[in-house]
Amino acid sequence: MKNNEVVIETRNLYYAYEDEKYVLKNINLRINKGEIIAILGENGAGKTTLVKHFNGLLKPTKGEVFVLGKNVKDMSVAELSKHVGIVFQNPDHQLFSETVEKEIEFAMVNFGFEKHYIEERIEWALKLMGLEKYRNRSPYTLSIGERKRLTLATVLSYDPDILILDEPTAGQDFLQKEKIAELMNLLKHRKKTIIIVTHDIEFIVNRVERVILLVGGKIIYDGDKRGALTNYKLMKEARLLPPQVSQISWILYNLGVKLPKDILYTEELLRELLRIYKS
Amino acid sequence: MSFLEGFKFRRKDTRIHKLDPRTKFIIVVVYTVLSLIFFNVIPLFILFLSTIFLIYMAESMNEWKKTIRGMFFFLTIIFILNFISISQNKIDYSLAMVLRFLTLTSIFSFFFLTTTPDELALAIEASGISRDYSLMFTMSLRFVPTLAKDLQTIMDALRSRGLELEKGGFIQRIRNYTYVLVPLIVYEIRRSLMIAEALEARGYGATDKISTYFELRMKRIDYIITVIAIIITILVILLKIYGMLPSWLFIKISNI
Ligand SMILES: Nc1ncnc2c1ncn2[C@@H]1O[C@H](COP(=O)(O)OP(=O)(O)O)[C@@H](O)[C@H]1O
Ligand SMILES: [Mg+2]
Repeated sequence: MKNNEVVIETRNLYYAYEDEKYVLKNINLRINKGEIIAILGENGAGKTTLVKHFNGLLKPTKGEVFVLGKNVKDMSVAELSKHVGIVFQNPDHQLFSETVEKEIEFAMVNFGFEKHYIEERIEWALKLMGLEKYRNRSPYTLSIGERKRLTLATVLSYDPDILILDEPTAGQDFLQKEKIAELMNLLKHRKKTIIIVTHDIEFIVNRVERVILLVGGKIIYDGDKRGALTNYKLMKEARLLPPQVSQISWILYNLGVKLPKDILYTEELLRELLRIYKS
Repeated sequence: MSFLEGFKFRRKDTRIHKLDPRTKFIIVVVYTVLSLIFFNVIPLFILFLSTIFLIYMAESMNEWKKTIRGMFFFLTIIFILNFISISQNKIDYSLAMVLRFLTLTSIFSFFFLTTTPDELALAIEASGISRDYSLMFTMSLRFVPTLAKDLQTIMDALRSRGLELEKGGFIQRIRNYTYVLVPLIVYEIRRSLMIAEALEARGYGATDKISTYFELRMKRIDYIITVIAIIITILVILLKIYGMLPSWLFIKISNI
């Protein structure tokens, strides 16, 4: 299967800001093309620091990082960003243009795309993120949800193969979260590799396959999401709240209801309860 | 942004930290005056060495070193600018100016490393300046590191969209920095409005007479240091005016 093409790989990656202590410790990762991954961990676990290595914003203190088979050591951020798009958390740190259109255009101009192609892509991105009617507005006049979508549009517009979303759901309401979920679906169909950095467990339950748990700069779990999210000990170690459905199942289990301990979805819980009820 | 390290307060238990902030402020003034009246390498070098000694007493060498290292670029510029704009005594004069800058940086670093923001606010208020201004001053100090972090975040986001800050000619580079400045200014204005609201919500400005946790008290050692510092300064100034300072202070090092 061609799906096993590795797009990002880290080997014994360590990182320290200035000469302080390591905030990433011995990170070994292989991310395949088309995978949808969540990097989970509490605030300060090192998630953002880790993904900044994937487009060269940070270079390893020790160890190596490969993107699309090339060592990032001698590659510029601009070069890498063409393939690896990162959307950062806070829109207010990123918007500066006079109009929404110009904001979207910025990256493509930097990458030297052709004019008619740029125009095409702006239309596509505006439509995708539902921002057409704001095209001539100043980004600062948009609502927080719209600004978030605009930051997504600025990166999606140039169509990177790998997309990294840093805390995309932080401070967003239900509707915005739905839109971000829709977007992830679309990207999945377009065979993009998606890495989502978050501690919003409920959001990722239905949307990713693989989960990486980061605690104090170390990976304590990397694999199938069920193995992490339904493991009480691991989740506690990572200081994350397990999915509510799993929590309810554990409570019922402790009350004597004979349920499996790795329930992740509402349907699973209902099916089990029905089974018990019937018997 | 590590050059800011030397201007951030660190809680430590040394004799210097225990001094009254006003005493330390007098020391800063004395050093400023002394370093401004001299234009020669040797006296400025002595001043600089003594600031290092003060920082050593305050056990803050590591933070200070980071600041000095971060200033290296500035120091080079100061040296070069003085060197090309002066017609005689080039080396001596440029070196003296570098030493003056180092002395001033170090003595301010000494002050901010060892004085808590609270003490600072009290000291400013004690000198008769209104609370509004003292708060403004201490808050802006408090937010310098935050500002540095915001700046880093903004630059990271821009670089991720393909902006190469260091590329292009002079005009292009200036334009690149405006991309950075717009979000920075907007963000900081928003932040300060939020802080202002939070302050008012917690009763700031409700009364003129506010209660304080602790009061500043000059101890014996504070009076002694203050008096000695002022006497030395006046003495040096008088000796300098009447040309009675020892001549070795004015030897040109380029002649040695
Ligand atoms: N620019 C920086 N300078 C120094 N330390 C930093 C910097 N950015 C982050 N850190 C530290 O690195 C650790 C990991 O931070 P981060 O990667 O932002 O965590 P997360 O994204 O998981 O919340 C934290 O302890 C944080 O304080
Ligand atoms: Mg983060």
